[in-house]
Amino acid sequence: MRDRRKGILRTRLLAQAGVLLLALVAALAPVYWMLTISLKTEVDQFAIPPKWFSFTPTLQHYTDAFVTRSFGQYLLTSAIVAVVSTLFALVIGTLAAYALTRFRLPYHLDRKLSLWILSTRMFPAIVTAVPLFLMMRDLRLLNTKASLIVVYTAFNLPFVVWMMRGFFAEVPRDLEEAALVDGDSRLGALFRVVLPLVAPGLAATAVFCLIVSWNEFLFALVLTQTDAAMTLPVGIAGRVTQYEIKWGVMSAAGVVAMMPILIFALAMQRYLVRGLSLGAVKG
Amino acid sequence: MGIRFQNVSKTFGDVAVVDDLSLEIEDREFVVLLGPSGCGKTTTLRMLAGLESVTSGDIYIGDERINDVPTQQRDLAMVFQSYALYPHMSIAENIAYPLRVRRLEKNERENRVMRVAKLLEIESLLNRKPRQLSGGERQRVALARAIVREPLAYLMDEPLSNLDARLRVQMRGELKRLQHQLGTTTIYVTHDQAEAMTLASRVAVMKKGRLQQFDTPLNIYNHPANRFVAEFVGSPSMNFIEGKIERGTFVSDSIKIPIDRPDSTGSMGIRPEHVHVSTTPQDGAIPASVYVTELMGNETFVFLSVGPHKIIARAPADFRAEVESKVWLLLETEKVHFFPKTKSTDYTE
Repeated sequence: MRDRRKGILRTRLLAQAGVLLLALVAALAPVYWMLTISLKTEVDQFAIPPKWFSFTPTLQHYTDAFVTRSFGQYLLTSAIVAVVSTLFALVIGTLAAYALTRFRLPYHLDRKLSLWILSTRMFPAIVTAVPLFLMMRDLRLLNTKASLIVVYTAFNLPFVVWMMRGFFAEVPRDLEEAALVDGDSRLGALFRVVLPLVAPGLAATAVFCLIVSWNEFLFALVLTQTDAAMTLPVGIAGRVTQYEIKWGVMSAAGVVAMMPILIFALAMQRYLVRGLSLGAVKG
Repeated sequence: MGIRFQNVSKTFGDVAVVDDLSLEIEDREFVVLLGPSGCGKTTTLRMLAGLESVTSGDIYIGDERINDVPTQQRDLAMVFQSYALYPHMSIAENIAYPLRVRRLEKNERENRVMRVAKLLEIESLLNRKPRQLSGGERQRVALARAIVREPLAYLMDEPLSNLDARLRVQMRGELKRLQHQLGTTTIYVTHDQAEAMTLASRVAVMKKGRLQQFDTPLNIYNHPANRFVAEFVGSPSMNFIEGKIERGTFVSDSIKIPIDRPDSTGSMGIRPEHVHVSTTPQDGAIPASVYVTELMGNETFVFLSVGPHKIIARAPADFRAEVESKVWLLLETEKVHFFPKTKSTDYTE
């Protein structure tokens, strides 16, 4: 009897492990493929049957991408655009979210405004691409980092507002009221009492904004065409030309593009988990 | 500092939470706002703190009208029911917060925190975080944060309601002692009539946003302004019997007692300690039967049936009577209250 139960338990464990393994393979196979392509010579890339493990690695594509071509430049542009737009979105969005959770506006505007803000995320991004292109052209901001920073900030704002609204709502009002009675200003209470308490949430939100901005392709493609303003995703896609596809260079750039986000997300992992489950457990 | 509410009202939508409240609190006084939940006592306190706007009327601190003064400039200290300690700060930082906001020098800050911590005997907790503290300790820290900066007045919103019964009684005494020592005007909100009676120099009893009575605890107890106050203050509660006064005698279906009042209908009220129970027949006593008795140790509460009425009497600890046994009641007629029936309510609307 006991042996049978043990057997069932083991089968279940194996099944669970099997499903997890399958999911893992599905998720990581493309990454592995990209990583190997970036290290293979062009001959090995197209070998049939594919060379999964045994090939002579080369860093040729990396030097090709970052020394010969302008991928270093793209990387820098991507980093500046992603970081600056994330900072803007966090500052503006956090203040907006705070106001929307804590102040009652006439005609229920506080609730309506929140919905309006969210609704800007409901239509497909491509709808705004052309108008944005025209606006940026008139403002003479085409092919500048500023145009991308403005667009990404705007694009990330609704997300920041809605995430932070949830986190702010978790902070008991008493705490801020105590701070006010203790003599602090609204802003002082926000910075000294409320923000430290929602820091994990802020970190989680920052990670998401950064990922979105870093990976963004559509607006970057429409708004930037020069090497000086191009971001990494657009730069990579640009290696697909009429005559050839530079798989090696694209993969090498892809691997590098993955790294900052990976490192940042790992560093923030502790906050990420806490931020996303904030309020789920009373503490 | 003296505090004055003048015809203060607060409405949320169509609901008047505080309705035409006028109160004059003197300097160094300990005033308790007492009433059931939803009576507007907390809203009154929050209006004074500036956390809630005033719909109409004026609030003065000293001679200054403070309706439009922002919270942080009112120089009040408040103790919240939830204590509202800042979870990410140590106890020392919590207590020092009002001083830090006022940009006091670090040295002076530390000195003051130390002094207050000693006063409240929490020196050993200064390096801990709020979540590592028990309820009673948090309560002390909240108090320390309030008294560290010598404000114009202390506002306390049910500060003891999260403590267990024993601790509550202990802290109640310490609060009273502390206020005596500091001599700062204190306004204290509670629904616990025992806290109100023990702490207050004057009690303001509220119901449904209206002030019912504002007087010393003894006067509230001995001369309640209306039936609501009479019923709310005192434990066990005052006994009431509906009936009418006819030519100097209160008459109900089972009781007749002399009472020196003009003719009217309403309810007669008598406190349990003014009802004396005897197991033997007495002259002029009202026959009753024992419903149940509750032994309290130092005294006995006797629940009695008099005709259709239930009456509670306080009897000595050694009083013994079987359930359903026949007893006789003597009422101290000079301690009897009478509340005429006005309109349909028993409180000030």
